[in-house]
Amino acid sequence: MEFIFNLTPLIPLFPLLAFAIIVLFTHRHNRLSSSIAIGGIALSTALGWTLVLATILSGEHAWAEGWQLRVPWLPAGTTVLELGFAVDGFTAAMLFMVPFVCLMIFIYSQGYMKLGQPDQDPRYARFFAYISLFAAGMLGLVVARDLVLLFISWEVMGLCSYLLIGFWSFRKADSEHHIDAAQVVRARQAALKAFITTRIGDVLLFSGIALLYSYTGTLTFRELFRPETLETLQAISLLGMPAVTVIALLVFGGAVGKSAQFPLHVWLPDAMEGPTPVSALIHAATMVAAGVYLVARTLPLFIAGFVVADAPALHWVAVIGAITALLGATVGLAQDDIKRVLAYSTISQLGYMMMGLGLGSLVAGIFHLLTHAFFKALLFLSAGSVIHGVEHGAHIAAHNGHGHGEHFSPNDMKIMGGLRHRMPRTFVAYLAGALALVGIVPFAGFWSKDEILAEAFHLWRADGTLNLPFWVWLAGTLGAFFTALYMGRQLGLVFWGEPRHAAARHAHESPSSMTVPLIVLALFALLFGFVNAPFLGNPLHHLMGNVHEVSEVVHAEAIPFNPTVAGISTVLAVAGLLLGWSLYRNYRAGQVEPFQAALGPVFTVLRNKYYIDDLYQWAIIRPAVWLANFCFNIDDRWIIDPFVDLVGAAGRAASDIARVLDSGVIDRWFVEGTAQLFNAAGRWLRYSETGHVQNYLLVVAVTILLLLGLYLYF
Amino acid sequence: MTLTQLLVLLLPELVLTLTALVVLGLDMIWRNGSWSQRFLLWIALIGSVILIAVTVLIWPLTGTGGLPIAFATGKDFGGDQVPMMALDPLALFFKLFTALVLILVLLASGDYVRVRIRFRGEFYALILFGGLAMMLSAAATNLLMIYLSLEFLSITSYLLTGYLREDERSTEGAVKYFVYGATASAVMLYGFSLLYGATGTLDLAGIATVLMGGMVPVHWLVYPALIMVLVGLGFKIALVPFHQWAPDAYEGAPTPVTAFLSVGPKAAGFAVLMRLLLTALPGFQLDWIAVLAGIAIVTMTLGNLVALWQSNVKRLLAYSSIAQAGYMLIGLVALAPEAQSWTTGLNGLLLYLLAYLFTNLGAFAVVIAVENHAGSAQLDAFAGLMRRNPFLAITMFLFLLSLIGIPPTAGFVGKLFVFGAAIQRQMIMLAVVGIVNSVISVYYYYAIMRQMFFGEAVDTSPFDEGPGLRVAVGVAAVMVLMMALYAEPFIRLASESVSLLAASF
Repeated sequence: MEFIFNLTPLIPLFPLLAFAIIVLFTHRHNRLSSSIAIGGIALSTALGWTLVLATILSGEHAWAEGWQLRVPWLPAGTTVLELGFAVDGFTAAMLFMVPFVCLMIFIYSQGYMKLGQPDQDPRYARFFAYISLFAAGMLGLVVARDLVLLFISWEVMGLCSYLLIGFWSFRKADSEHHIDAAQVVRARQAALKAFITTRIGDVLLFSGIALLYSYTGTLTFRELFRPETLETLQAISLLGMPAVTVIALLVFGGAVGKSAQFPLHVWLPDAMEGPTPVSALIHAATMVAAGVYLVARTLPLFIAGFVVADAPALHWVAVIGAITALLGATVGLAQDDIKRVLAYSTISQLGYMMMGLGLGSLVAGIFHLLTHAFFKALLFLSAGSVIHGVEHGAHIAAHNGHGHGEHFSPNDMKIMGGLRHRMPRTFVAYLAGALALVGIVPFAGFWSKDEILAEAFHLWRADGTLNLPFWVWLAGTLGAFFTALYMGRQLGLVFWGEPRHAAARHAHESPSSMTVPLIVLALFALLFGFVNAPFLGNPLHHLMGNVHEVSEVVHAEAIPFNPTVAGISTVLAVAGLLLGWSLYRNYRAGQVEPFQAALGPVFTVLRNKYYIDDLYQWAIIRPAVWLANFCFNIDDRWIIDPFVDLVGAAGRAASDIARVLDSGVIDRWFVEGTAQLFNAAGRWLRYSETGHVQNYLLVVAVTILLLLGLYLYF
Repeated sequence: MTLTQLLVLLLPELVLTLTALVVLGLDMIWRNGSWSQRFLLWIALIGSVILIAVTVLIWPLTGTGGLPIAFATGKDFGGDQVPMMALDPLALFFKLFTALVLILVLLASGDYVRVRIRFRGEFYALILFGGLAMMLSAAATNLLMIYLSLEFLSITSYLLTGYLREDERSTEGAVKYFVYGATASAVMLYGFSLLYGATGTLDLAGIATVLMGGMVPVHWLVYPALIMVLVGLGFKIALVPFHQWAPDAYEGAPTPVTAFLSVGPKAAGFAVLMRLLLTALPGFQLDWIAVLAGIAIVTMTLGNLVALWQSNVKRLLAYSSIAQAGYMLIGLVALAPEAQSWTTGLNGLLLYLLAYLFTNLGAFAVVIAVENHAGSAQLDAFAGLMRRNPFLAITMFLFLLSLIGIPPTAGFVGKLFVFGAAIQRQMIMLAVVGIVNSVISVYYYYAIMRQMFFGEAVDTSPFDEGPGLRVAVGVAAVMVLMMALYAEPFIRLASESVSLLAASF
């Protein structure tokens, strides 16, 4: 068993090697490159699942304590910065999901990037190199034993997200493939936005890590979460708070950036400018999951020394989570882009996860992370399949002369309609994903969302007053209704009614390399919830519930199934789904949207995403650009450059004067004297350098005499 | 000590001697220029690889204290076994070091030798003998043995430098090297005789014991001895002002030999210097630290300033290697054996040597590749290298970064450790001079980079560097990165190698 665990470092290494091989050697061979990428992640999946099995079989002790491997990496002063690998129940749970979902996405990408077709993506091999590195980053993060390896992987993912979101910024504008110049620019801007926004979080996280290291001298999770370490951290006061609270908030800042929590959520919807498989990677298995994972992993820091009911850092997690959940769900009601709706749904679901963690329940948050990864990957890949089909339909329409000639976006739900007949397999997959997201029994999302809500409900009832858990529960329940509403709207717009554009009329089913991963993921969306179903005894709770037991702060026991909570949320979910679906089932082109008619100005606010992007544009970006311009002007136009020019001019004038003086006075006396001096020195130097060996030896002799003379002198 | 024990302890030396002799013998049997002569290179390479294996195998034998190797027995030599060499961590480190130098130099020399020297197999044998001399001198604990092994190394180097018989500059360089070397070693021998006269023993530890006894005031005798020994060793390391042979010899020698000279004898010189000063003269550290600090400053500064004006890359790297030796010397000057920290100065010196080994040999391998193709090692031969051979250009870029000391390269780790040691010992001045010099050096290393990436080449056709050079450059580049990204094993190796020396100090 130990032997299998010793292979852990290979899990991130396989995709990393795939990345290196593709970039260095095979980037000219497309099929070979994607095969290497898929092979790498397949090996990781196989090894990952073996490890999951090994962990489960190792028994309860191994689930909590885990296996670890330390690698001394960077000697710094008297200590050594170590990095290492660890596997415990929590890691095992993540290892079940991450490599597998990545594998599905990789396989799907082969079809999506049109391998072997005439319009195959010109940077096909590079795409697979990038997503391999992305997967390597996430896998490295999951098996990290300490914050060092975690942060390295974290940054690798940041880089990959930048590269992949902007992947199409190198495309040429091309009307035949519906690529316009604005889209290319948007891809570039989205990449920058994602990189810079998450960077704000990264800086906070890094400050947190630096503080931790300077106070404790270690960055290993197990050592950090020892009760005595946490006590020390709590005793230190920093900015009027216990240091541990400050550190926890800084760490949470990193997670807010990475996991797109309010107020740093703005990058995620724009990130869909990348190819759809990238959206699936970012939204499901990697990027955004990293932030939630980080908070879950460092949960003891959030609770350290407090009781769960009164841990300030933890409350922030819950509050931010609740705000984000509601914000995402409501904005999702008013978007037209099929992927944008899903993006806001991701934001909202990430809010749920943070809510779960913010209530102090590791398992509730992570359970939702796992189920969400499966059904959100499914939804994104299905959406990709829909877009793919519509693009294809546009081709056929143009070919048959039905083309309307006008520009349209293949992502726009308003042009779709009736696709359930044209793309039946995609429809079934999408429906499964939607039902899981909405939380209909027995789909995965039901079990995990219910667990979070039940947790909040339980904490509220245990206390009885209108405390934080009550508001969390309320926000979660409302959010569930809105979730159902926007998914109903989306299903109605995309799959029901009449096609509203020639492209949608001619759309047809995607190749099986795309649909097969969809079906597999659909099965998981249906069944995965049972890994923590209450009537099966909450197996996931047993596997990972005790991970933080070392720190004796995070409670592990499962909340019993609560029929009231489940009932309320199910009724709301079904109602929302039916309402949205029935309103939009027969939507016609050009008609005023039912929601708009009902909500009026509120709808406009939602459609403009609460004007948050505009606020940032106005309050942050514009001033920053102005400041940059200002500095540029100071440097180039107003002060420094003119000054330099002035000095130059003055120098020229002075030199003119000097020249007159020079030839008469200075030359004769000054220069010639100096020149003679340098000449003499130069002659001496030449003797020492021109290659007469006898001179060399003279230097030796003189040196010896000099050094001996020093002795006599002192 | 039985003969068998002795032979086991001497296995690395024996392996190398045997390989060299086989190469020599086969070279005589096989006709000059015949097809089978290309196997000589393989034999030499295999011998070097076996050397690594053997070294690793006998590593555990040394224990923590190291083993003395005594040769002379019988009444003629005074009846006692006189320990001549030691098999201790430091000696083992340099055996490994030697094997790495040999492998990289041999790999890089294949095509060069085939084209320019027309397959004279004794070239490989001489390189191997040079390696043998390095190992012997690094292990020697007796003044006599030190002298003999250094002389062995010098004579091999003279021969190799003058190997291009038709080339005037090669011959000229060799003769100058020889005349200078002969004088320097005579001066060193004089120093040794003074030490012997003062203490009555040739054994390094014995000298320390007598001097520590302090019965007779001998400072007036030991100090001149120290200076004269420094002349000999400074010549081997090419420290200013005993460096002047180096540019001529480096430029004239066949380029693979230049590569060897810039690393091998330098390392051997440092090994002897460390052992001699720390084992025999620890009581005189006030003297040698002061003198060496001065030499380090002069060496760094002069090497860098003169390198600024060079247009021949071989000559440029010659001056650069003089400057590099100056940085290394900081490690020895700032030694702090009792330090609790990771930087003890001495381990910085070894780390720097290791980093320098991979970096400099890698850079020279690139120079050899360019020279093989363009026929010259002038700066403009590197013009447009990025377009003609991106692999060489990018790896050369990496080696230059490492020579400057910019992360993430091995050179950064080396500089970090020696400068760190200097700062820790409050020798701020030394560290500042070192850092200022590193900045100056950017200028001339940048000249090569600019040629490679922005220079306009007359001939823009791509060319191939050949398998041997490709492996040499590739291995060196990987190690340069490896030493920076995962430095811990290297640091541990260096620290363990000097631990004994530091403890005896």
